[in-house]
Amino acid sequence: MERNLTHIALFAALIAVLGLVPKIDLAAGVPITAQSLGVMLCGTVLGARRGALAVLLFLALVAAGLPLLSGGRGGLGLFAGPSAGFLVGFPIAAFVAGWVVERTTLTPAIAAGAGAVIGGIGVLYLFGITGMSIALGKSWTEASYLALAFLPGDIVKAVLAGLITQAIARMRPGALMSRA
Amino acid sequence: MLDLSVAIRKPAGMPAATLSGLHLAEAEFALGGRAILRGLTLSLTEARIGILGQNGSGKTTLLRLLAGLIAPTSGTVRVDGLDPATDRRALLPRLGILFQNPDHQILFPVVEEELAFGLRQMGLPAVETAARVARLLAAEGRTHWARAPVATLSQGQRHYLCLLAVLLMEPATILLDEPFAGLDLPTCQRLARRLEHLPQRLITITHDPAALARADRVLWLEAGQIRMDGPPDSVLPAFTAEMARIGERDADADLPG
Amino acid sequence: MLTLTSPVETPFHLVPAGAKMASLCAITAGLIAVSSPVLLALILLGTVGLMAAGGRVFLLQGLRLLRPLWPFVLIVGVWHLWTAELGEGAVILLRLVIVVMLANLVTMTTRLSEMIGVIERLTAPLGRIGLSPRLLALAVALVIRFIPVLAERVGQIRDAIRARSPRSPGWRLVVPATLAALDDADHAAEALRARGGLG
Repeated sequence: MERNLTHIALFAALIAVLGLVPKIDLAAGVPITAQSLGVMLCGTVLGARRGALAVLLFLALVAAGLPLLSGGRGGLGLFAGPSAGFLVGFPIAAFVAGWVVERTTLTPAIAAGAGAVIGGIGVLYLFGITGMSIALGKSWTEASYLALAFLPGDIVKAVLAGLITQAIARMRPGALMSRA
Repeated sequence: MLDLSVAIRKPAGMPAATLSGLHLAEAEFALGGRAILRGLTLSLTEARIGILGQNGSGKTTLLRLLAGLIAPTSGTVRVDGLDPATDRRALLPRLGILFQNPDHQILFPVVEEELAFGLRQMGLPAVETAARVARLLAAEGRTHWARAPVATLSQGQRHYLCLLAVLLMEPATILLDEPFAGLDLPTCQRLARRLEHLPQRLITITHDPAALARADRVLWLEAGQIRMDGPPDSVLPAFTAEMARIGERDADADLPG
Repeated sequence: MLTLTSPVETPFHLVPAGAKMASLCAITAGLIAVSSPVLLALILLGTVGLMAAGGRVFLLQGLRLLRPLWPFVLIVGVWHLWTAELGEGAVILLRLVIVVMLANLVTMTTRLSEMIGVIERLTAPLGRIGLSPRLLALAVALVIRFIPVLAERVGQIRDAIRARSPRSPGWRLVVPATLAALDDADHAAEALRARGGLG
């Protein structure tokens, strides 16, 4: 269906554009990127399957050589380095986040927030830490210390994902494909 | 809610291919219980037709009905004997649509890809498609546009690109939605000149009477119904007078629906 | 759209993308077996040499692409200095840099269209569940088409917010940007249907 294709493509473009937004500084001085927020929104707004496909499409273009990752990064090198685990985890995280929104009847803010925690932190960190431990030759536990630095930011990100999904649901009632 | 279009839409009792032009028979469109177009029966066969109306008159809905982007909630719409809502592919070489905003219409990042798409959709092989695109660009004196990114084109140039993409399909009829909206004067003049010389039947939807001065037939749409239907000499002055009268009123406070 | 493919022509540009990717996987797998820091250092030098063969501009671009690695190099370096396991640290870092450099070499010498072609071939089996290569090609075109459109819109939104507030917009951009993406997706779907649809 045309709507599926265009929504997947447009959200892949959205992730790329959010990568151009400068890092958002929070009170604790821990920065979060609008881009990782965008990845969560793919799942919470489009639903599990479409969201994951949007993120996969985005990653395919990054792998193919477009500098779309925040900071103007791109290319196969990223998939060979320490962040590879996170990159691989992104579409799965989006899927899980979307799945939580699709399967529950909680208000979008809570559902999306929960999805972002389970997917964007739980699942994503699983893949990300594994990737780092392989690339950096460290044990899983050792690698997890490195990831801890991002935890406060990612918790705020999960809350924002919930609020933003709720706002979208209010402003475009039919648009939340995850709750269609 | 009942899907009335299935229950009431009559099979094409009219012989299919011989009936060229756009025909509506008691076509209606309602959204959420609100009637937007009521009982329209029209035969649009003239070369230059204008559909004139205020914003909210239903003219955009009528365009989308004719284009097959929406199906009538009752009644029938036929373009060259085909139902545009279900036979979109078959209508590609017969009906072209030029939307108001080129950024809502262009799908590809590079000019020649955008131009090639319609022909590829019709099944034309890549080599033949490339040849036709090249021929068109050459005829328009724009061969250097071929590999250009669409993002580098100006608004007017993008509008032109959309028109070229439509012309490449060589349709018999072109629907134009507010073709001059937002264009600067020189671009308007260029576009008007180009449109004037097109061999196709043109159906222009607009709120601006000036755009329809040279039409063969003008239909004034108001609140989903035809208020007046005739040559521009009679319809345009009446429309302009009515618009002036409405404009005199201080407030536009009524909410729709 | 600006890609990371280097405009400097090298012999690698002529090697088919699939062959380069396969070699990359093979070399990466092979490197796991190498545990001598000296040997790895030599391989690294060889890799840099490959890059240098493309000229100064090419080499500099290759080195620039290594920049995202520096925090990790620092952390691992300090870690192994602390635990006095310098040999092991060297092996880890050398392997890492070699693999990333080689991967970037593939990126710099392969055109976007070729990479998409490889991805299309790899995902061809998915055609059976409805994800045909033609849809992928169309999806890629749509993304590249709409990135500048959305970027321009986000710029306008940022200006609108800045006109009303001295603070930097930050996360407040995300809602309007997402709405813009949703609206453009609807319009594009309609334009696609108007031009015959996906069939």
